[in-house]
Amino acid sequence: MREFIKRYEGLWLFSRSPAAIIAAIVAVLSILGAVFAPLIAPANPYDLASFSLMDGLLPPVWEEFGNPKFLLGTDDQGRDMVSSILYGARLSLIIGLSAMAIATVLGVGLGLAAGYYGGRFDMIVMRIADIQLALPAILTALLIDGIARGVLPSEMQQDLRVAVLTLAIALSLWVNFARTARASTFVQMQKEYVQAAIITGQRPIRVMFVHILPNILGPLLVIMTVDLASAILLEATLSFLGIGLPADSPSLGTLIRIGMQFMLSGEWWILWIPTLFLVALVVSINILGDFLRDVFNPRLR
Amino acid sequence: MAYFILKRLVQSVFVMIAVAFLAFSLFRFVGDPITQMTGVETAIEDQERLREELGLNDPFVVQFYRFTGDMLQGDFGYSYRTRQSVGEMIASRIPATLELGTVALLISLIVGIPTGVYTALRPRGFVTQSILLTTLVGVSIPTFVIGIMLIFLFGVQLGWLPTFGRGGTVQVGGWESSLFTIDGWRALLLPAITLGVYQLTLTMRLVRAEMMEVLRSDYIRFGMARGVPMRSLYFRHALSNTMVPVITIIGLQFGGVIAFSIVTESVFQWPGMGLLFLESIRFVDIPVMGVYLVVIAFFFVLVNLIVDLLYVAIDPRLRIKDES
Amino acid sequence: MSFKVLKRSALIGSALLVSAAAASAESFKWASNTDPQTMDPHAVNSAPVLSFLNNIYEGLVRRNQGMAIEGSLAESWEPLEGEDGWRFYLRQGVTFQDGSAFNAEDVMFSYQRASNEAADVRSWFAPVKEVRVVDDYTVDFVTNAPNPLFPDSIANFMILDKGWAEANGAELPARDAENYATMNVNGTGPFTLASRDPGVKTVLVPNANWWGEVEHNVTEATFTPIGNAATGLAALLSGEIDFIQPIPLQDVAQVESRDGFKVLEGEETRVIMFGFGHEHEELLYSTDVTGTNPFQDVRVRMAAAHAIDIASIDRVLFRGKIDGASQLVPAGISGYSEANSTRPAYDPEKAKALLAEAGYPNGFSFGLKCPNDRYINDEALCRAAASMFAAVGLNAELSTGPVRDYWPQLRADEFDMYLLGWSPGTFDMEHPIRFLMSTPNSEKKLGSWNFGGYSNARVDELLPGIQREVDPAARQAMVDEVVAITQEEVAYIPLYTQPLIWAAKDNVDLTQRADNFFMLRWVTVN
Repeated sequence: MREFIKRYEGLWLFSRSPAAIIAAIVAVLSILGAVFAPLIAPANPYDLASFSLMDGLLPPVWEEFGNPKFLLGTDDQGRDMVSSILYGARLSLIIGLSAMAIATVLGVGLGLAAGYYGGRFDMIVMRIADIQLALPAILTALLIDGIARGVLPSEMQQDLRVAVLTLAIALSLWVNFARTARASTFVQMQKEYVQAAIITGQRPIRVMFVHILPNILGPLLVIMTVDLASAILLEATLSFLGIGLPADSPSLGTLIRIGMQFMLSGEWWILWIPTLFLVALVVSINILGDFLRDVFNPRLR
Repeated sequence: MAYFILKRLVQSVFVMIAVAFLAFSLFRFVGDPITQMTGVETAIEDQERLREELGLNDPFVVQFYRFTGDMLQGDFGYSYRTRQSVGEMIASRIPATLELGTVALLISLIVGIPTGVYTALRPRGFVTQSILLTTLVGVSIPTFVIGIMLIFLFGVQLGWLPTFGRGGTVQVGGWESSLFTIDGWRALLLPAITLGVYQLTLTMRLVRAEMMEVLRSDYIRFGMARGVPMRSLYFRHALSNTMVPVITIIGLQFGGVIAFSIVTESVFQWPGMGLLFLESIRFVDIPVMGVYLVVIAFFFVLVNLIVDLLYVAIDPRLRIKDES
Repeated sequence: MSFKVLKRSALIGSALLVSAAAASAESFKWASNTDPQTMDPHAVNSAPVLSFLNNIYEGLVRRNQGMAIEGSLAESWEPLEGEDGWRFYLRQGVTFQDGSAFNAEDVMFSYQRASNEAADVRSWFAPVKEVRVVDDYTVDFVTNAPNPLFPDSIANFMILDKGWAEANGAELPARDAENYATMNVNGTGPFTLASRDPGVKTVLVPNANWWGEVEHNVTEATFTPIGNAATGLAALLSGEIDFIQPIPLQDVAQVESRDGFKVLEGEETRVIMFGFGHEHEELLYSTDVTGTNPFQDVRVRMAAAHAIDIASIDRVLFRGKIDGASQLVPAGISGYSEANSTRPAYDPEKAKALLAEAGYPNGFSFGLKCPNDRYINDEALCRAAASMFAAVGLNAELSTGPVRDYWPQLRADEFDMYLLGWSPGTFDMEHPIRFLMSTPNSEKKLGSWNFGGYSNARVDELLPGIQREVDPAARQAMVDEVVAITQEEVAYIPLYTQPLIWAAKDNVDLTQRADNFFMLRWVTVN
């Protein structure tokens, strides 16, 4: 019954928030577009034989010289922008979501335990976190990439770029979760309800995840929403620094990196259309995240 | 307390050694320094001789031992690329990065905390919603795109600010600073904003979330009922209670700022450590990469130590834990 | 043949010096994407360093605006009589920037320094048997065999002052720690170092005692490396710098459309090409062909050549700024084979037919390796080429990476096909024949960049003749034969000559040389 009201309340709140509705529509459409990219995209940007340099640098259809075959124009290789963006969003979402999931599980688990047990365990976790923080994302990516290259046969390496990148991004993000969870856990540990739970002999796992976790979700959710964005952007940044995905199987970030070259050359669509799409996607995910946080944390209403 | 600090310092040495070890284990994957050091016409046997001289044929453990051994004796080695002393190279680049990072962080705090408080107090207002949306858009655009956009807007179109470099710097006791000249500040502004956008958004949203939480808590409601002035409630009681998690994040952010300054420095040709590091990756300059990482590790450990000490200062309850 | 160069009139020289000094003197700021890593002219054989140091140091000979060799510290030179080699007559009355006099001892010292194992430029002196000081102003370079190209090959061999190097402990290029010559200079050239902050800023000022006629009006020249192309362009457009090399192709229109700026376009001497794993017994990165290497069949290599549509690559990727290449050097380089100047036409049908004839009617897949930070638009080129290959059934698995990791992969034979750019260091066809077409032989220092192991006995046989032949017609006939053989066998697929694109403010006059060297002494700021 309580659950029902909560859900009902959430829906009611949702119907009253135009921002959340728009965000939901944008996010759902983008996600659907990404998921069903192979079905709805006009072309397959990974199929080298399907596009031709002859069609390169065509502007969107509403501009002069636009070609109705390419609604949002083509890039310097003659690839259809619509298809590139759909496939790119797919890849970006896969990378962003899985990196964030890994980082959350790893970070929150370690952070909670560090805060709960304190002492030596806390010290070790925090020093590992220091080591991780001291290795910039670019180096973590290089490290994992390097290990993959050393361990895996070369024909698998190209295919595993996505997994390598995801892992590298996840490793660069987990520390945020761990340190925040730890700090909040410290504060919660002083509270009576936790002390009571411990004194009544409840198992540590139960105390951590049933009692403490719900009470520290607020700051963690903030980090999660902001970090989903940063996971997607980090992928773009790594690609800017030269260790992202190969240009022939681009994510949104890689599309933006490629588009940067055309920022001033007049072919604005190669940069700005993927950027606009990325911004719309990330902003709507964030708005939805905010909204969900408000719903699940009634005290904030 | 002294024991606590000492313990942390000892731990930090281990952190730095671990970073050096990890770093060294990945250097061989970065590329081959020899092909980057020699010209196309250099004979293969000359290349091999150089490889032998640099000890690159030695086992990884030997190379690592040599690096840490030299470093513990204060010898940071010489760059493969420029042959300069790595210690001097890094030292000369530290001020640029630290000034950029500090100013970026200050911008994010000076703007982030008030807007966080404001948006918490007026959660439904139009201004609040606009601020939230604008900053969200800000963090959704990759840093390198923002940087180039700012350069073209303020540097080229409007011509107000320089497009690259540090501008006028002055030596202050061996520290090359751009904080003492107008020129230096003009050069600092765009990179600091670019670097600070993400941190600003995070600070603002964090302060907002914490603040909203605290405002609902019993003691604030009790205070309201008692007739304590709202201003005092908001700023003396509510805001100060948000500070523990905020300081955690700020501490973390400084690390993030230094790490992300790699991108900002590269876009603005800002002559800091990050730019040096990127160059050294490009040329597989192993000694420079190694020392850079160890120095960064040192900063992290230092900042974390300070953050932990601040906890204790701000939240007396944590003191009991440490003393036990 | 006479190699005598007329001694310049001292009178004219000094007159020009006065007029230049009277003209409005200007400070000049420029940028490029790479910082010269050292000020030592013998430490590394890399273009950014040699280009930069040519403003400070000078060689026995130098290249003029049209790349032709002319006298510099040597006024004239002639073949030795009775033995192989060259005699150089040195210019008299030249002083180094610290005031000490230049003479044959400095040449001898510089030769010893530059040919030492510690010097990366020592490969230039591989043909040299002995160097003799004849008198204060005459030096003999004795070579192992007749070497008509020797004076051309040492245009970047820069002369250091013996006394200065010895007094400062810089007898050899720095091998471990830096030495005095890494950060300090003492050349005879038109400019000298005022200050240096590596990777940040380097300032040059004119050498008031330079022997040559001053054509520039620069009073102070500041160099800044700017790694990011967009930032560099912004620096130019905002007026903070006067000149930048290079700018991205796609931004040419943007620069030209703005008032007060100009673009200097030319062709570099670098030819971009695809290479094959000739000696690989099987494809390494194929999903459908095992146990054999189709690229060993000349028909398959020819099919690949016919699959490339250079005109489209030019129009879309290079904005009409490239010319297709037929051989490994561009027209205008000595030894260029006029007789073999057509490249395989774009003909996908023929490519398919050739593949079918070779037994691959449905094509096959293979691995294509490319750098992504070495040549202009290298990654985009390879993506386009992969798409063109796919159109005829050659399914390229493209893998791109930074150059720091690229050469090691090529050296380790990890490719089926790869991209390479080659600029002939001596500006002669012999250079790519020696490095790219000769059977690899580390003892004889041949074919060191012939990663695919292309090997043809006749080519190997012709090379020594090409190196020694003094008669131009006989030499050209041999070169023509090599080019014909390698075209017929499709040793490489030459694609195009890399364009050279610089940008400057309108009020700056400067010279763009085909080796991408930037010479301050040809700069006039109006």
